[in-house]
Amino acid sequence: MTATGEIDSLGPRIRAEVERAIQRNIKGLEYFTSPAPVLGATPKDVLYKRGTLNLYHYQPLSDEVYRVPLLMVMATTNRGYIFDLAPGQSLVEFLLKQGYDVYLIDWSPPRPDEKHLRLEDYTLEFIPDCVRRVREDSGEEQVTILGYCMGGVLSVIYAALHPDAPLKNLICFTTPIDWTHMGLFTKWAHRDFFDVDRLVDALGNVPSELIFTSFEMLRPATRSAGQIKLWENMWNDEFVKSHRMFERWSTDTLPLAGEYFRQIIKELMWRNGLFKNELTLGGKRADLGNIRAPVLHAVAEHDHIVPYDAAKPLVERVGSIDKQELILKGGHVSVVAGGNAVKRMWPKLDAWLGERSI
Amino acid sequence: MAEPSSKDPAAAWQDLVAQWERNLNALANRTMGSDEFSRSINQVISLSAGMHSSLGEVMGRYLASLNLPSRAEMTGIAERLQAIEERLDRIHALLQRSASVAEPDAAPTSTKPPRTKRPPG
Repeated sequence: MTATGEIDSLGPRIRAEVERAIQRNIKGLEYFTSPAPVLGATPKDVLYKRGTLNLYHYQPLSDEVYRVPLLMVMATTNRGYIFDLAPGQSLVEFLLKQGYDVYLIDWSPPRPDEKHLRLEDYTLEFIPDCVRRVREDSGEEQVTILGYCMGGVLSVIYAALHPDAPLKNLICFTTPIDWTHMGLFTKWAHRDFFDVDRLVDALGNVPSELIFTSFEMLRPATRSAGQIKLWENMWNDEFVKSHRMFERWSTDTLPLAGEYFRQIIKELMWRNGLFKNELTLGGKRADLGNIRAPVLHAVAEHDHIVPYDAAKPLVERVGSIDKQELILKGGHVSVVAGGNAVKRMWPKLDAWLGERSI
Repeated sequence: MAEPSSKDPAAAWQDLVAQWERNLNALANRTMGSDEFSRSINQVISLSAGMHSSLGEVMGRYLASLNLPSRAEMTGIAERLQAIEERLDRIHALLQRSASVAEPDAAPTSTKPPRTKRPPG
């Protein structure tokens, strides 16, 4: 481009930047005075509540549904509305419109008296009980389970402990199996440095602030950079809306039941029991080879929370013949929500699951 | 023809921010991945947990002197309430099953779509 051309294009660009600067100030004020976005609004019914455990059934959005119901299991560290951010950006809404009968296990903060909850409670009690209730409510014998992150770990452990479970399909998103590859988490929680007994004995349930801070420390500059990008894009309503949704979810972490946390550290992190097929709960050994249902594992190429090396052994080690790993660009959350998920993961999930839900 | 990003000040600024974020995260990860950092941060956590526990004991004794329930006692009450709630849930479920056995022809409370969906193609 010639110098004249550059000068000619400079005028409109400057005008655009001035306009954006004005909009930033106006909308910046609106940002602080407007109410928080409403998230997780797809209509659902409470099927069962028990302390930290909540089982929901979403109201159908299609005239007919697939035979096999789908039970989603959220991670115990965060809220389930990441699956249901907003109309048009909701995995739940997408699945309902595609004809799936969707249920969700979501977690409330464990009460002080729930500090005694263990992995056994989650995998030998909560999930089997919810599977039973889904079967009763739907009238179907088999259920597809979909677990995200730690929800995936619980789902995998459940499946590995119950080779005769009524499990039609197992879907996992960014689920760690080999905990020696959990990056900084492995380092910080090393048995040489981390006195998990002292922490749990003193506090009972592990506070949500500790969980939140440990996630933030993985990328300490990202929140500040995010604020800068927010200010730059304050004129862009779609950007601001998306930012607010993800910001709200990422800060809405949950405490973890004390004994459950202790076991995660000792049994999963230190002993790597799940990867080694040595995790024993309720007298039963969780053997990944026991899992024979079709398995789909969606992992993120640039996942800073569950690195690929931690997630990849799932498909390698399950006993299933029908199994597939889906590697997607992006990070831990973009596999599930956001533009990348809408365009890439969701259609692939539907294509895989649809033919296995009849 | 697209403007080269180096001649666009807004794009240059965005590149700068992205680079700063990447570099600072990489530096922080290297620092926080050291044994010294892990040892230090866990010492802070242990100290904090210890102080929290000690404070809890002191508060417990103070509340007892005022004839007020401690956190542990309130937790115990919550556990008993939870047990009562679970028992009520079981009774409720039994009553619902009895009602459906007594009135098998009663209309369902909600209409569910048929499970006849098949994938396209």
